[in-house]
Amino acid sequence: MSDGNVGFEPRIVAFTCNWGAYAAADLAGAARVQYPAGLRIIRVMCSGMVHPGLVMETLENGADGVLLMGCHPGECHYQNGNEKARARSAVIEEVLLLMGLEPGRFRLAWCSSAEAERFAGIVRETEEALKAMGPSRCRTPIDSNSESVQCL
Amino acid sequence: MALLNTEGGSLGLLDKFEILHMPMLMDHKYFGLPYNSCEIDIPKAEVGLISGGITDEMRLRIAEKMRRQCSVIVALGTCAAYGGIPASIDSFEDEELFGGSRRGAEETDSETNSVLDVPKFLGRTFALDEKIDVDITLPGCPPHPDRIAAVLESVINRKSLDWPLKAVCDSCPAKREGKGGVHKIRRFVKNARYQVNKPLSEMRCLLEQGFLCMGPVTLAGCAGTGGGLPRCIEARVPCRGCHGPVRKGGNQLLDILNALASNGIDTKDLAGRFLPHLFCGARAGLAGRRSVRTAPEF
Amino acid sequence: MLRQTEAARSPVFAKEIIIEPVTRIEGRAKIGITLDDTGSAARVRFHMTSMRGFEKFLVGRPAEEAPGILACISGVCPLQRHLAANQAVEGCFGTKVPPAGRLLRELSQVLAHIGSKTLHFFFLAGPDYLVDSNRYARNIFGIVGQDPELAKRVMQTRYRAQMMLEKLAGRCIQPDAIVPGGFSRPMSCLERDELYAGALEQLEFAGFAVEFAKERVFPRLETELMRLGDIESGFLAMVNTEDGSLSLSDGALRLMRPDGSFHEFWGREYSDFLGEHVEPWSYSKFHYAQGWGEGFSMDLDNPLGIYRTNSLARINVADCISTPLAQAEFVEFRSRFGRPAQSTMLYHRARLIELLHCCEKAVELLEDPRITADHVRNEAVPREGRGVGCVESPRGTLIHDYSTDKDGFITRANLIVGTSHNLAPINMSVTRAARDLIRNGEVTEQVLNRIEMAVRAYNP
Repeated sequence: MSDGNVGFEPRIVAFTCNWGAYAAADLAGAARVQYPAGLRIIRVMCSGMVHPGLVMETLENGADGVLLMGCHPGECHYQNGNEKARARSAVIEEVLLLMGLEPGRFRLAWCSSAEAERFAGIVRETEEALKAMGPSRCRTPIDSNSESVQCL
Repeated sequence: MALLNTEGGSLGLLDKFEILHMPMLMDHKYFGLPYNSCEIDIPKAEVGLISGGITDEMRLRIAEKMRRQCSVIVALGTCAAYGGIPASIDSFEDEELFGGSRRGAEETDSETNSVLDVPKFLGRTFALDEKIDVDITLPGCPPHPDRIAAVLESVINRKSLDWPLKAVCDSCPAKREGKGGVHKIRRFVKNARYQVNKPLSEMRCLLEQGFLCMGPVTLAGCAGTGGGLPRCIEARVPCRGCHGPVRKGGNQLLDILNALASNGIDTKDLAGRFLPHLFCGARAGLAGRRSVRTAPEF
Repeated sequence: MLRQTEAARSPVFAKEIIIEPVTRIEGRAKIGITLDDTGSAARVRFHMTSMRGFEKFLVGRPAEEAPGILACISGVCPLQRHLAANQAVEGCFGTKVPPAGRLLRELSQVLAHIGSKTLHFFFLAGPDYLVDSNRYARNIFGIVGQDPELAKRVMQTRYRAQMMLEKLAGRCIQPDAIVPGGFSRPMSCLERDELYAGALEQLEFAGFAVEFAKERVFPRLETELMRLGDIESGFLAMVNTEDGSLSLSDGALRLMRPDGSFHEFWGREYSDFLGEHVEPWSYSKFHYAQGWGEGFSMDLDNPLGIYRTNSLARINVADCISTPLAQAEFVEFRSRFGRPAQSTMLYHRARLIELLHCCEKAVELLEDPRITADHVRNEAVPREGRGVGCVESPRGTLIHDYSTDKDGFITRANLIVGTSHNLAPINMSVTRAARDLIRNGEVTEQVLNRIEMAVRAYNP
C-alpha cells in the first residue's frame, strides 16, 4: 500500500448540515481558512437525513473517505436529527466492515456554524488519516459487465 | 417448479404458450452431436425465463444466448433478480468458503477439455441484470405462481405490469401500537405472542414484539396477486425479506438497519452476526443496485 | 451447428459427447463422455453443476437462523433441509419438540415427499416410458397430448399436494413454519379437516399410481431395461429403532453392505462410518463407506466403499413398512427382488411404494387427535452444544451437523446433502450405461437418453 501513497490526494466527500457545518465551511472560505482541495461538499438540511445508502454509494463510486458533519448534540436545528445521524453512523461502521473497507473511511463529526477553524481542522485530520490508509479499493470505475471483480 | 403450480395446476396457461426449452421437463439440449463447444443451442422464443444467479461461465453463456434468442427476458426469482443468498455467501473469499469442498477449474486434468468438466466459477454470484438486459424482474423465493402467470399474460397481451411498489407492512394486518418498547432485537427462539385461532389482525406486529421482521423493507405481494397475506407472517414467522427490496435499487440490509437505528433500536452485531437475510446480495447490491456508470470525475 | 432433428436418428460418430443439461431431473447436471479409438466409452463423468458448499457461511450465525438461510439456497429438497437444520439446532440447544409439533413436522415431511414423488414419476421419469421416443414429445406435454385425462389428473393432484403443504408450512417450497423447538403455529380443526380430505384424495391417487405403473411401466422396466445402469453397492437409509420399519424423519441409520449385512448407528456417529473423497475434476465430495475399511473405488468391476441412498436404499434397508398398503407392496418387492435389490431401475418401484406409504402416513397423522393441540413449540434456549439432524429427503439421507458456542452461535457446520451420497453410484451407473450402449463410436439420440435414464432413476 505504501507505494500507492506517493502523490495520493484523497478524495473526500463531506455531507454537511445547512445550519452548522455547511455554514462553517462557508465561513472558512470567506475567512480564507485553508482546507484540502480534495474535499467535495454536499449540503443537506440536517445530518439526520443522510441515509447510510448515500454514504455507501459515495464510497462505492470511488470516494476515499466520507465525512458526515452535523450540529453539536443539543444544538440541532430540528431537535434531534443529529442523534439520528449518530445512530445511523453505527450502522455505517458495521456495514463498512462487511464491505471490507477500513472503518476510518467514514467519520462523524460535530461542527457549529461559527467554527470555521474546527471545520478545516477536521478535514485536514481526515485527509491525513486517509493518506496513511491509501486509496480506497473502490477507486476503479465500476463496470458490472466485466468479469473481474473491481470492488468488494 | 413454481411454474407447474400456475392456475391450480391446470393447463390453461400452457394452452397459450408453447414451451420450447425447459431442462427440468423437456429434453432440449445445449449441444447436439457431434459435440461442438462454440455454440449453445437455444431456440428463438418470445419469452425467456431465467432463474438463479449467474455463478459460473456456463450459466453466463446460457443467459447471453437466451438474451439473443428471446424478445422478452424475465428474471425469475430473487436469485436471478438480486443475487439471492448465494450472492451474500460470495462475500467470503473462495478458498475460505469452499476449502476442501470445492476446487477451482485450474486443477482439472490438463489433457481434458475443460468444458467437459465443471464450469469455471466467476468469482461471485451475479444478479441477472448485471450481465444481460432484463425486461421483467419477478422476485420471490419462489415467485408465487399467480405472479408468474400474470407476467406471462402481460407478455401475450402486450400490457405492462403495474404492480404497486409497496412494502410488506402495507399488506400485513397485524396490530401496530408503536415500536417504543423495543430496544434490542430478540432472537426467534420462541414463538411470537398471538392467540391461537384468532386472525392475524389480532396479533401485534412482529417488529413491535422485538423480532427482526423485514416487512418494512421488502416488496409486498409474495402471496400472489389475489391480495393474500404475507406468507411467513401468516405462519406467525417474521418476514425474511425473500421477496427482495421494495424498489429495484433498494438495499434491504442498509434499509432495515437504518430503520431500526432511527427508531432507537440497538443494531450492534445485527449486520454481521445476524445478517438480515440478505436476499439482494449481489455484491454491488451492498450499496444498492444502480445502473452502471463510471466514477464521476473529480 | 446442426440442431438435432428427428431426421438425424441415424448414428453419429463422435469422440467427445456432452449431454448438457441432463434433462428431467430437479438438480442441474451434465455428463461428459470421451470415446477411445475402438469407439467405446473410455471416460465418463457425471457432474452436478448446481452443488455448492455453504457450511462456512453458517459459522458465526445464530444457530436458529441457519434453517432459514439454508432453505433458500436451492429449490431442491428445501423442506428436508429445513427440517434437518432445525433438528441439528435442537440437538445443540438440547430442545425437545412437543408431540403436536412433531406430528406437524412429520406431516410436512410426508406431504413434501408426496409432491416430489408424483413430480418425479409422472413429469420427470415417466415420459421415458409413457410416450414414444420422439424427443419433442418425451415430456409431460407429450403425455398431455397422448392421454389428456391422465395428465390432467396428475397435474391437479400434484398441485393440491403442494397447496396442502403451503397451507400447513408457510410456503410450499420453503417451509418457514418449521422452527427450532417445533412449529410456528398450531393447526386448527378446520384446517385439519380440509387437509384430511386432501390426504384421502392423495392416497387414492397413490393407489392408482401403483396400479398404473404395474400395468404400463414396470413390465418393460423390469425386463428389458432391468440392467440399465446396473451396479453393485451397499445402501444407507434411516429406520425406526423400535421395529426397523422405514422412517423418513426420526430414527437410526443403517448402512448395509452388498451382501445384506448391516451396521446400525445414530446420526451423530455418521463420521465413524461415512468418509469423503475428493476427485480433482469435481467440485463435489464423493461419500463412501469408510467404516468398511476397504477404501474408495468407482471401478465397475471392483467397487469399493460404494453405497446408495434414496428410495431403493430405504426399501432395502427397512425390515418392514408401518402402513398396510405399502407394506403389502413391500412384501411383494422383497419376495421378487431379494435383499438388497441392486437393479437401478428398481428405484422407480421403490419410490412408488414410498409414495403409497407417505399418503397412508398423512392420513394416519391427521387422524391423530394430538395434531391440533395448541402447544407446538418449546423455547429453544441458546447454549453450547453439538447437534446432528438426520432426515430422509427424496434425494437421500440428509445430515446436518452443527456445533454452537455458549451464546448459541454456530462454530462449526458440516452438511451432507442427499445427492452427495449418490454421486459415486450415479457416476458408475452412467459409466455402465455408456459402456453397454455405445459401440463402435455409434451414438444416437436415443442412446443418450437411455444413459440419462440411468441418472433419472436416482432423481438427483
